[in-house]
Amino acid sequence: MLWYDAGVAEQTTIVLSMPAGLRYRDLAVRCVTSACHLVGQDADDVTNRDASQLELQRTFDAAFISAFSEIFNNIAIHAYERSGDGGLKLELTPAKDHLVLEISDNGKTFDLSSVPAPELESLPEGGMGIHIARACLDELEYTPGPPNRWRLTKYLRAEGEE
Amino acid sequence: MALTFSTIDDDENELVLKLGGQLDALSASELLPTIDKVIAEKRKRIVVELTDLELIDSSGVAAIVALYKRSRAIGTKLKVVGARDQPLAIFKLLRMDKVFNMA
Repeated sequence: MLWYDAGVAEQTTIVLSMPAGLRYRDLAVRCVTSACHLVGQDADDVTNRDASQLELQRTFDAAFISAFSEIFNNIAIHAYERSGDGGLKLELTPAKDHLVLEISDNGKTFDLSSVPAPELESLPEGGMGIHIARACLDELEYTPGPPNRWRLTKYLRAEGEE
Repeated sequence: MALTFSTIDDDENELVLKLGGQLDALSASELLPTIDKVIAEKRKRIVVELTDLELIDSSGVAAIVALYKRSRAIGTKLKVVGARDQPLAIFKLLRMDKVFNMA
């Protein structure tokens, strides 16, 4: 189910309720990608963006989608143990200079603080998902539930810019 | 978009594995039989071509790492070429761009 809550003039929240199976991830990624494009002053007119702004947007999109994909995987694989039975709710709030995505699920809880950083030198074949999500976002928060709530925040700005 | 993959083997020393679409937690397992075949060829070089790859996640990276380790074990050199946008960013983030000889 998709609807819009335009109660706040400057911010709109887009809500998507969907199954948490991996086969639905692509659909969710498309929705999140579209929300990424709503961040920024001239979101409705990409033709006016110069090359550096377009590159900044591509970098932002890639990072946010990378992080979201890993969190979706975590919910589908660990919280719901690949059952495909569970559901999740996405709440996307694009703003002028950042995007906030809150994800709620009712699966098994998770201890985010217990996830170690992977030893990249050893070329790991697992345990990289949370590392990717943390590295790609400005903020990653998790509150165990039910419902469990993830909060992903990323700012649209050039590297090194505060 | 689903994962697409094919091999090009018109050079007796080199085998090219071309991947496109999405290599992720859902699709990575589809690649395993092809990885077995690629390793069984025992060529001198394997080139993983990612120009058409649009999205990769940690499971997809793990599949390529597994291919790299198996290649190394039999003395085959592996390099990854053509990655762009999100896949390239992920390889750089995980510091694997140098391991895979990515330009």
